Amino acid sequence: MRKTLLAFTLALTLTSLRAQTPAAAAPPAAAAPPAAAAPAAVPLTDADLKGIPTPKAEDRAKGDPDGGLTGNVSDVTVADPITDKTPKAKGLTLGDLANQAGQNKIAINFMWTLIAGFMVMFMQAGFAIVEAGLCRAKNANHTMMMNFMVYGTGLLAYWICGFALQMGGVGAIANLGGTPPLVNEFTVTLFGKPFGMWGQTGFFLMHKGTYDVSVMVIFLFQMVFMDTALTIVTGSAAERWKFTSFLASSFVLGAFTYPIFANWAWGGGWLANLGTNFALGHGYADFAGSGVVHAVGGLSALALALIVGPRIGKFNRDGKPNAIPGHDITYVLLGCFILAFGWFGFNPGSTLGASGNGNLRIGSVAVNTMLAGMAGSFSAMFYMWMRYGKPDASMTGNGLLAGLVAITAPSGFVNPVASVIIGFIAGVLVCLSVEFVERTMKIDDPVGAISVHGVNGLWGVIAVGLFADGKSNYGGSWNGVAGSVTGLFYGDASQLVAQLIGVSTLLGFVFLMTFLLNLAIGAVMGGQRSPAKDELEGLDIPEIGSLAYPEFQLK
Amino acid sequence: MILVGILVTFLGFVISLLSLGMASGVNSRMFMVLAGIVVSLVGIVGVINKAYVNNAIWKK
Repeated sequence: MRKTLLAFTLALTLTSLRAQTPAAAAPPAAAAPPAAAAPAAVPLTDADLKGIPTPKAEDRAKGDPDGGLTGNVSDVTVADPITDKTPKAKGLTLGDLANQAGQNKIAINFMWTLIAGFMVMFMQAGFAIVEAGLCRAKNANHTMMMNFMVYGTGLLAYWICGFALQMGGVGAIANLGGTPPLVNEFTVTLFGKPFGMWGQTGFFLMHKGTYDVSVMVIFLFQMVFMDTALTIVTGSAAERWKFTSFLASSFVLGAFTYPIFANWAWGGGWLANLGTNFALGHGYADFAGSGVVHAVGGLSALALALIVGPRIGKFNRDGKPNAIPGHDITYVLLGCFILAFGWFGFNPGSTLGASGNGNLRIGSVAVNTMLAGMAGSFSAMFYMWMRYGKPDASMTGNGLLAGLVAITAPSGFVNPVASVIIGFIAGVLVCLSVEFVERTMKIDDPVGAISVHGVNGLWGVIAVGLFADGKSNYGGSWNGVAGSVTGLFYGDASQLVAQLIGVSTLLGFVFLMTFLLNLAIGAVMGGQRSPAKDELEGLDIPEIGSLAYPEFQLK
Repeated sequence: MILVGILVTFLGFVISLLSLGMASGVNSRMFMVLAGIVVSLVGIVGVINKAYVNNAIWKK
């Protein structure tokens, strides 16, 4: 048994060294771990592996209540097994153990990434009931249908071309076994440096060898992130968005707008390479998508809210806003809880692995996520309590979401104290922003999507440039720059510049792209807004054909 | 008016982008990028949004 453990230790060490990211400088911790030196002193050969005892068949037949017999050397896949017909075969070798250890590492990372992706997918349910709860009962079916079909629409768009544009040139993702087919990025030269613009591999998940297990895993994970951005928009345009226009707008956002910025940030594009090309920290760093997912969704929500205009009755002729309460606050807070649960897939899952390359930091990422959410809900609740005399429930829920949005980008780079500060600021920020959007900008955002996701998404991006503490180590580098992401407060002002360039790109390019595309959709489809008569009646019957609550007497 | 807002918003992005080629120090780049962000915000909040508010249905 001791020899078995020894062999596994050696095999795991060899595999972890071999699996380092190519661009990564060998991190000090991985270069000379105490455990790595020990096996070298013991010459281990294939011969040592012969005769390792396995549980007897009669013992296994009695069952294994304590788990001591299940999972042993007989479960290792042997390339050249000894059988009655092949008595001279090699049998178990060190190579078999090394291969098994490597596959186990990738299997762990596959499982981690997939389960995290499943959790993010479930966030769609959270968004659906938060938005439905914040809308009036007469629009509940319409709102739920938008949240339901944004999933399928986005998935279709992303499968056709969105994924290829985003990830087609990302290169090797070591945690998932390399993703070798995703290596074709379209670049232009600007200021003498290559600017990655979009990927060119992976259309329909069949193009140029992308029918590949590791590509499938990264597709699923990235797809649910994209869909999160899409479903943010349905909130700001709720209760007056024409269903056909919504379908077209969501398709375009999932096929083009989101993937382009995601490529620049995560797919090997020019923002990610601001560090290697222009010595700006580690390039634009967005661990789980405060910018890529939430700011893109929030700014698209702003564009749609501008284009469709406010609901009838939201503003008086003097511009004074009227409160239009949602029909079910219990939906809202339950949805916030579902979203907070899903965020544990969103942020920790963004390591794309639980084994190797510093991925044990998932514990820190998860704790940072819950702390920031808590801080956001507290600060929003106390702000509303002090300002209006009551702890407003919907804004407390939005405070939780704001804290989670803001910590999404920094979650992999900051410590718990910074997480609480980031979340606390986010909770106040969302309250101030909701007031500004409604009272100053005269924009009707029924669910606060612009403030929760847009404003706090941008705050999260900036927070990386301020609070990243230089302690994270994901394989020794980030975006091809050796060392850890370090913000202004820990000595690297250039990281903040990279983050601000990301913010500027979101405001000056992504917002415009989504704004112009939606203007075009409106022009082609005869406007984005439902007729006033339908809006007054409620969109459930005119748009969907059935009421959400047919037995209720609706006002 | 909306077209002007679009141009101003995009100008902010261009200013930030130019910081990569026209400036080399961290401080000068930071200054240009912040200026670009302010210009884009003016374009969105001060021009595009104002154009929509001026023609808002609740004013009619």
